[in-house]
Amino acid sequence: MTGTTRPAAGTPSLLEVRDLHVWFRLPGGGELHAVQGVGFDLAAGERFGLVGESGCGKTTSILAMMGLLPPNASVAGEVRLAGTDILAGGEDSVRPHRWTDLAMVFQGAMNALNPVRTVISQIAEPIILHGKDAPWAAGSRSRAAAARKRAGELLELVGIPAGTGVRYPHEFSGGMRQRAAIAMALACDPKVLLADEPTTALDVMVQAQIMDLLVRLSEELGLALVLVTHDLPVVAQVCQRAAVMYAGEIVETGTTDALFHDTRHPYTRLLFAATPDLYADDEVTSIPGTPPRLDRPVVGCPFLPRCDSAVSRCESERPALRPVGARQVAAAPRAGGAGLGDDRLSQPLIVAGPPDGDAGHAAACHLNDLVEAPEREPA
Amino acid sequence: MTADGALLDVADLRTRYPVRRSIADRLARRPRQWVRAVDGVSFSLRRGEMVALVGESGCGKTTTAQTILRMVEACGGVITVDGRDITGLSQRRLRPLRREIQMVYQDPYESLDPRFRVRQTVGEPLLVHGVGASRRERDELIAGALERAGLAPASLYLDRYPHELSGGQRQRVAIAAALALDPVLLLADEPVSMLDVSVRAGVLSLLDGLRKDGRLGVLMITHDLSTAAHFADRIAVMYLGRIVEYGPARQVVNDPRHPYTKALLSVVPDRDPRVRRSAQILRGETPNPVAIPSGCRFRPRCPVAEARCAEVDPQLERPAADGRDGGGHGYDAEPARKVACLLA
Repeated sequence: MTGTTRPAAGTPSLLEVRDLHVWFRLPGGGELHAVQGVGFDLAAGERFGLVGESGCGKTTSILAMMGLLPPNASVAGEVRLAGTDILAGGEDSVRPHRWTDLAMVFQGAMNALNPVRTVISQIAEPIILHGKDAPWAAGSRSRAAAARKRAGELLELVGIPAGTGVRYPHEFSGGMRQRAAIAMALACDPKVLLADEPTTALDVMVQAQIMDLLVRLSEELGLALVLVTHDLPVVAQVCQRAAVMYAGEIVETGTTDALFHDTRHPYTRLLFAATPDLYADDEVTSIPGTPPRLDRPVVGCPFLPRCDSAVSRCESERPALRPVGARQVAAAPRAGGAGLGDDRLSQPLIVAGPPDGDAGHAAACHLNDLVEAPEREPA
Repeated sequence: MTADGALLDVADLRTRYPVRRSIADRLARRPRQWVRAVDGVSFSLRRGEMVALVGESGCGKTTTAQTILRMVEACGGVITVDGRDITGLSQRRLRPLRREIQMVYQDPYESLDPRFRVRQTVGEPLLVHGVGASRRERDELIAGALERAGLAPASLYLDRYPHELSGGQRQRVAIAAALALDPVLLLADEPVSMLDVSVRAGVLSLLDGLRKDGRLGVLMITHDLSTAAHFADRIAVMYLGRIVEYGPARQVVNDPRHPYTKALLSVVPDRDPRVRRSAQILRGETPNPVAIPSGCRFRPRCPVAEARCAEVDPQLERPAADGRDGGGHGYDAEPARKVACLLA
């Protein structure tokens, strides 16, 4: 289950995210650079995890892909769906793809169902609004009846008997409400499902049921899944590949196997060390400090203040995401070195899982650039 | 009870909540129904020890803690704290004892008053209980509690508001407020589930260190078995108002005997993608505690239930395979593992 499932050479990826940036204009003036050049590829049926602490830009990234950020946000970069950049023309170019190609399960969606309407009518609503030309609507007496029938099928698909759809959300358990929220996202047959913390706040048994459902959906429907979570074990068990985000950028990406067994970025290593494991006896340690503020340019490596193995170069130069094992000779620090937006844009861009790479394992850490095995210096 | 005896002893605790009856129910004289949230729970906790109460939502973990605090009244059973039976005490006679048992809540974003500075939050319990004769004395106690909770130097935090603190620091302030009265028992209800992964370990290590000092015992409520396995001495697995398995943490995790414990452990995701457990996903969720199944309460979801499981309600006892004699006598020996399953 952990093999790479990137499309074979020559086959275009289903979804290509390139150099995605998001800035928020702040009320008091100034800007917050929340997402700083995120890129990854996704094939049909592939499950990709975005992990990291809160505030590192995971949710902002997928909201940007959906074109759902608030008006004070500006977005740059490309989100290519089967080769077409859906962000190129602003809202007008995203709208035709939202829900029909790209759908999202919002964080806490299970608690955002309308309490005074039955579950099935809430699932049918987007179908009535968006799915007028869908094949399953042909030959039905009315759009509403067709939509209701379709909503029933969706409930069955996520493991809820269609007959229970006439109940109200409060009559559903937490797990059933989460299933209903997933069914709603699937209403218009999307190709890509973006799921924001779909298992957080669920019991371990229900979490296992939802993880199982997401894997089954991606396998049976060829649905590509982007799973946003802070829960590394969930990503390890559900996704084939993942990206670790920190301070708005991807700091390490690769197969989940490579991330765990060949960890290259100190942040990834510390995240694993902060996650207790059922059977391992290793000490669980927290990561000191907090992520940097993103409303001012970060000088050097953004993880430096919390890093346990930094070298002097980390203070002056921001590391770029480079393939693991590439042993690149360090480029001379650029003049100024502190400006981050332009600086990053001019660097050769490594996206998570380049179509022609071998394992697509990359890390943004100077230790990774310098030597094969990171030299650990005392903090 | 002797000084080295149990700090907290809960015996056959029962708590129930009434279900609202409709007018039709009343007219038809249908008897009132009860949610048996806690239905015969027994365990004990020593000073310096951490016991984890694990189970799914609705299994009665939080109600157990609230009953021990006497925030809800038990309808049966005995709660003994430090040798004193507190089950029947009046609220007035209970008040001095409240200092001894303090609670840490799940969400420090909710549990701290946003208009209170850290000094007020941690100092309020002192005022309520009339501890500390002068302001200066109270300030010393406040600073001491903050530093015990890992917020040192205290002067750095005293005048801050909750919004000026990170999630981990907020939970430490909540813990400091609980420590201000120097309690002997700390009840922590999901103390890290609302916190970021990066700071969870710090808060858990803090609780771990506090109890290892030997001044207090910690009852931690959690749904996270990995956390329980790492930090608790003993684990009590609850299902539908009952403890179904109870024993030393490592033993419960490495050699579970109750089918429910086995299923719970099998669905904990491993951080290593090469490790694939054969997840035993139970269908459905915990049944309604109004209508607890006959016989073994886990039977309807149990993968190995037999006919006799419908007739006998298994009690929490040592599994036959572990032998009936030796160990488990007195509090000096390691308490024996107990399982409520006919097949264990």
